[in-house]
Amino acid sequence: MATMAEPVGPMRPNIASADVQLPAIKTFEQVDEEIANTLKPTKAWFLGLMVAVGCMLLGASAWTFQVYAGLGNAGYVPPVMWGVYIITFVFWVGIGHAGTLISAILYLFRAGFRTTIYRASEAMTVFAVMTAGLFPIIHIGRPWKFFWLIPYPNWRLLWPNFKSPLVWDVFAISTYLTISTTFLYIGLIPDIAVIRDREKNPTRKFILSILSLGWKNTDREWRHFTRAYLFLAAFSTPLVLSVHSVVSFDFAMALTPGWHATIFPPYFVAGAIFSGFAMVWTILIPIRKWWKLEHYVTLNHLDATAKVVLFTSLVVGCAYLVEFWVAWYSGVKPEQDYFFNRVFGEWWWAAWIMLICNMVLPLSLFSQKLRRNTAWLFILSIFINIGMWFERFVIVVPSLSHEFEPWQWTTYVPSWIDMSFLVGSFGWFFMWFLLFIKQLPVMAIIEVKEIVPARRAAAGQGGHH
Amino acid sequence: MSAEIESAGVKRRNFLKVLGATSAVVPLVGCDSDGIQRLIPYVVSPDQTVPGVSSYYASVCRECATGCGIIAETRDGRTTKLEGNPEHPVNKGALCGRGQSAVQGLYNPDRFRTPMIRQNGQLVATTWDRALQLFSQKLGETRSKGEAGKAVFVNQHEVGSFPGFLDQWLAAFGMPAHLSYDAEADLPAITAHKQVYGAAWPMFDFGKASIIVSFSADFLDNWGMSVPQQLAWADARGQLGQAPRFVYIGPRRSLTGLNADEWIAAKAGSELAIAQFLGGKISADAAATAAGVKKEQLEALAKDLKGKSNSLLLAGGFGPNATELCIAVAELNKAMGNVGNTVRPSEAASGFDRITGGADMRDLADKMKAGAVSLFMVRGANPAYTTPKSVGFADAMGKAGFKVSFSSFPDETTALCDLILPDHHALEQWGDADAGNGMVAIQQPTMDAVFDTKATTDVLIAAAQGDPTTAARYKEKDFRSWLLARFPGGAQAFAKALAKGVTSGKPAVSGPAGRTLGATSKATDGGKGDFSLVVYPSPLLGDGRGANKPWLQELPDPVSKICWQSWVEIHPLTARRMGVERGDHLTVTTAAGSVTAPAWPYLGVREDTVAIALGQGHTAYGRYAKGIGVNALDAIAGEEKSGALALGGLKASVSKAGGHSDLVTTEGSARQHGRGIARAIPVAELANLEKPSFRGEPMPKEHEAEGKKEETHGGKVGVAPIVGAFGGEEQVAGNPDQRFGRGLRSPVAADAQGELADSSAKDKGMYSQSHPTGMAKRRWAMTVDLARCTGCSACVTACYAENNIPTVGAPWQGRTLNPMGGYDDRPGANILKGREMSWLRLERYFEGGEDGSSDFEVRFTPMMCQHCGNAPCEPVCPVYATYHAPDGLNVQVYNRCVGTRYCSNNCPYKVRYFNWFGFGEPDRRQYAFPEPMNWQLNPDVTVRGKGVMEKCTFCVQRIREAESRAALEHRPLEGDEFTTACASACPSRAITFGDAADDAWTVSRIAANDARSYHVFEELNTYTAVVYLQRVNHTGAAVATVAKAGEH
Repeated sequence: MATMAEPVGPMRPNIASADVQLPAIKTFEQVDEEIANTLKPTKAWFLGLMVAVGCMLLGASAWTFQVYAGLGNAGYVPPVMWGVYIITFVFWVGIGHAGTLISAILYLFRAGFRTTIYRASEAMTVFAVMTAGLFPIIHIGRPWKFFWLIPYPNWRLLWPNFKSPLVWDVFAISTYLTISTTFLYIGLIPDIAVIRDREKNPTRKFILSILSLGWKNTDREWRHFTRAYLFLAAFSTPLVLSVHSVVSFDFAMALTPGWHATIFPPYFVAGAIFSGFAMVWTILIPIRKWWKLEHYVTLNHLDATAKVVLFTSLVVGCAYLVEFWVAWYSGVKPEQDYFFNRVFGEWWWAAWIMLICNMVLPLSLFSQKLRRNTAWLFILSIFINIGMWFERFVIVVPSLSHEFEPWQWTTYVPSWIDMSFLVGSFGWFFMWFLLFIKQLPVMAIIEVKEIVPARRAAAGQGGHH
Repeated sequence: MSAEIESAGVKRRNFLKVLGATSAVVPLVGCDSDGIQRLIPYVVSPDQTVPGVSSYYASVCRECATGCGIIAETRDGRTTKLEGNPEHPVNKGALCGRGQSAVQGLYNPDRFRTPMIRQNGQLVATTWDRALQLFSQKLGETRSKGEAGKAVFVNQHEVGSFPGFLDQWLAAFGMPAHLSYDAEADLPAITAHKQVYGAAWPMFDFGKASIIVSFSADFLDNWGMSVPQQLAWADARGQLGQAPRFVYIGPRRSLTGLNADEWIAAKAGSELAIAQFLGGKISADAAATAAGVKKEQLEALAKDLKGKSNSLLLAGGFGPNATELCIAVAELNKAMGNVGNTVRPSEAASGFDRITGGADMRDLADKMKAGAVSLFMVRGANPAYTTPKSVGFADAMGKAGFKVSFSSFPDETTALCDLILPDHHALEQWGDADAGNGMVAIQQPTMDAVFDTKATTDVLIAAAQGDPTTAARYKEKDFRSWLLARFPGGAQAFAKALAKGVTSGKPAVSGPAGRTLGATSKATDGGKGDFSLVVYPSPLLGDGRGANKPWLQELPDPVSKICWQSWVEIHPLTARRMGVERGDHLTVTTAAGSVTAPAWPYLGVREDTVAIALGQGHTAYGRYAKGIGVNALDAIAGEEKSGALALGGLKASVSKAGGHSDLVTTEGSARQHGRGIARAIPVAELANLEKPSFRGEPMPKEHEAEGKKEETHGGKVGVAPIVGAFGGEEQVAGNPDQRFGRGLRSPVAADAQGELADSSAKDKGMYSQSHPTGMAKRRWAMTVDLARCTGCSACVTACYAENNIPTVGAPWQGRTLNPMGGYDDRPGANILKGREMSWLRLERYFEGGEDGSSDFEVRFTPMMCQHCGNAPCEPVCPVYATYHAPDGLNVQVYNRCVGTRYCSNNCPYKVRYFNWFGFGEPDRRQYAFPEPMNWQLNPDVTVRGKGVMEKCTFCVQRIREAESRAALEHRPLEGDEFTTACASACPSRAITFGDAADDAWTVSRIAANDARSYHVFEELNTYTAVVYLQRVNHTGAAVATVAKAGEH
């Protein structure tokens, strides 16, 4: 059984500040037992997985059909050339932001409330980016040619167009997926060693041995591990800001009214963190309840995340209002028409769903009572997920449907196939996540051990610095 | 060509046969990499044919009775495209959408492929031998029974020798002359013209008039000869300051009405009162009350007319008193001294004589019912569809003796015939036509027959020769020889004339042919209701004969912009009063019957009027026509005095029918919302316009040097933008000594050509110096003169024809609605989802009339890819599928496109179209070119695959063809050497295409000199290559003061 060696050097930023200590955890064995408990399959887990795989298969068959029969079966009404696919793409990329923010940025900022939530968030990030990455391929007219967006040496000496934000997307998303996967894996190594040591099945033990890279819990290993982790945290940090900025360039670089705005990168990043934290709630609140991990993810932890959500909600709300002001101030008629149309025109309902879910409902988090009410947080997280999906809807669809050229104004109705993809994307995401929580610890065992009172007692001192 | 005609050896038709067989194995569709394609080369190549190089044959269009001259482009034995014949005096090189679509009749998959014979009540295929034998037998029987006098031949009205030839043939068999039937013919106007002017269709000089008043005469739609009239009208309006003001009087603003400067919304039938008022017969009050318009409007019109030396008054329509109206207006012309001036009977057009209409068809039906028709023959015409239900033509046909059809298409009439002897399509057979101006046009086959059909002319000759009593009259073996024997100047002149298509002379048989039954018109019975129903022939489908051509079904109606559908036009205020929304079904009931169709609220009908177009509601007539819309004739009964169906001014009641259909329209918003897309100026302000700063003077050399010096820094000679008239920000493509300025700049091309490059660098610009375009210093550009454009949409069809654009609106082309495979089978389902592919679209914007008043203006704007010099679509494409060619074209590479559709999102003009389905894949439901429709595909243009973006290319294939031709001939391109398909077809001559960087091209002179020029969305810095010229409005008050002020 892996035990904790003394921390190496003064650089460990894993601190349990007063509000996020875990008084209910007494021993390291308790940590191992309770967290590894999630690895045991239950009936509910199988049921959940079946639902997820079913949804995923729905999306997969819809895709097969679409590739054969043509994109025309989706709901596009030109010139609304982007629809549910791109909306869902941006939605999932956004979800993918909270994980790295929590695991990397909060790590560097020594925010104690990250310790118990970061592993789940990070896994969520990887799977969300994996989900998002499907959509640009699903959405293009000739998906079998998607690799033309990648610069690869070819006989024709053809390169992608580096001026195109879509090519930037390819780089941004692939980089982000690479880094966040690496970061997740590196952080997992000591934990894999923990479950390797507990594993009885020789095949699984063998696989876990390989995955844990033969972790032996030596000081040298710990020194290298912590350095690598710190380095990767620093490495991932700019990505949190850059990736969604690049995604926002898909819109901001175009001259379409409603898209052509310099505010997009910060506004998108704030929105991404906002939606990501909401998704963390959607995932963690059931996990802590079902596996009885309330004493790991305490109300204090949730309270802290709620403050982040409240803050990003205010940023996003501010951006919404600034957009209206800029449209008015610009004096550009198509821009003004679009923003008027956004709230009072054909798409008023979508815009109001967005404004209420993202701007109004999170104001409830000013109340500490509600910040500590898990039921409310869960409900709110669903609203925020819906609101953030509609935010992208409001950006994509009303803009394209009411552009410069009134003769080409149109409307948009998603079709059954669009919806199959939306459902399929959730199926795909949760399929991976459910598989993950059964195979690997959903909370960082080693980091929890760092802050449990047992360790502090053993070390005979309080937290470092 | 002449060599072939004269030589007795290989006839063109023979080698075309060989050619047809050869090319049948060459799949034209798509660059399909899967199948192995076989190309069988000629062992001995036919004379004058180079594989892959087009031949051009002059012929005559038979899509309506005008008979325009056409030139058919034929590639490897297949006719692919029709253009107007510039030598032909009628259409002078222009061709309308209906004419363009003739090839879709030629290749219509539903055409009769063999003769058909009725067996056990069913029409079954048979051989020509059997069919001809039966025909001869029936002819013999008719004669032997002494019933030849009771035979009837109904022919689609046409100009040329055929009607005369037919009468001679009928006479040989002892049969009476044929009935030359045209359901669209303007019988009231013809009757009046004959009576007052002494000529059926005098020459109307639009250009000479300073005011034109039309009393429901839709001279840009179907009235008279639309193409030559449109040419004359556009030339008249092209005079700008001196152009005639145009006032339209009628219950509905047709396309012609929308081109008017003022609309006097008179009740149907009350136009006569206005004519009487103008003639001083009744008071303004009485006329205003009768017409339901303001008295002031009429008085202003009278004043306007008095102040003008040259006026032109036209009358038409099919109102209840149309003949009286036409006579009254003709008399007015006479009284005003217009006859011999703007109305010239001395230059009358032929071909308007002895046309029969609705009354005669009713009479014929009555005769058939009475068993007084022994042998019924029909060719082209479709009386079973074009006559109202109350006539009972179909039932009557059942009582006729033997029924023979020579029609090419299965339609409502042929479905009732006993024997079908399918005629060649007009593009497959010989003929001639009177071209006016003392010219005769030759109709020659442009290719070998597609199906096992025979020219009716040849069938008739063969039938006559097979009969001993008539054989002596027909010495020639076929109609071509028959024509040749009678051709002025003989075979040599004939051969010479073939190249041009026209020559001086007269058709072999000229003079009026056919007969009329002289039936008395039956007035329409009263009927009840508060509404007045106006039914009008569709400008696209005509009386319905265009309905089987998908281009015409897909082309939005120029007024309503609705396609693949019937609709009821109702005034928006009336609709609101009745609680009728756009698309709610309305039932219009008259004494004759009722019609139900979705409502289209339209400002251009009176509040007490509803209007429906003819042409839809076929029960037969092929896959594209069947089951689309309703036949408005169901609500019609009776004729007006001249014998034409009384289509206008029927009393009707209108009620909501409960159903709803989304309107299949390409219109988004019908208003511009201040975006400045279609611009117009009052004629009074024309003189105040400043000359555009489009093209600056040649750049002073010192400026150039200065510019370079300024940009030199860091020891390097940097980018050297020119400082000067344009603020030093942009470099332009084109002749370096000759700058073309604002708007025609092409910074990307300039960069491509190395003009922005570091002069010390080895590589200049982004393209190789050996680029296939030769780094031509060109800027392909287009001007669109909105003062000339009438909105007729011929350019759109020309674009479809030239660029292999799929039609997507057929009921089976819709998307899948559920996973079980059910699909959206509404006609126009894809267009309801906005998936039409029209690279060139005609936008129709309303100005004014928000309160529902009749005082509104309409502006038409053809909108195509603007080939921006700084194109928003280019930088966003991740794979360079759209990029800038060095000669300023914005190029779309279909093969490279992955279909992200980002280019479309970033296009402010929204002129990019996406292939949502495999419209070019034969195994798909959405396949747009069912065999042999695919024979029409232009071999120079790719048929785009599923999932790629496409758009207007400025007919790049024509550019490259011309460049290659010039290169082969070792010469530079000449000015106006070629033009795009849209410009070539345009019957208004509104579109001019060419190289804006070269003064030899007209387009460069227009763009540089016309003060009306502007760019759409110029504020977006797109530097478009399309220059629009503002429309000029001749408002009432302005006319008097600025009649001569428009000099510029």
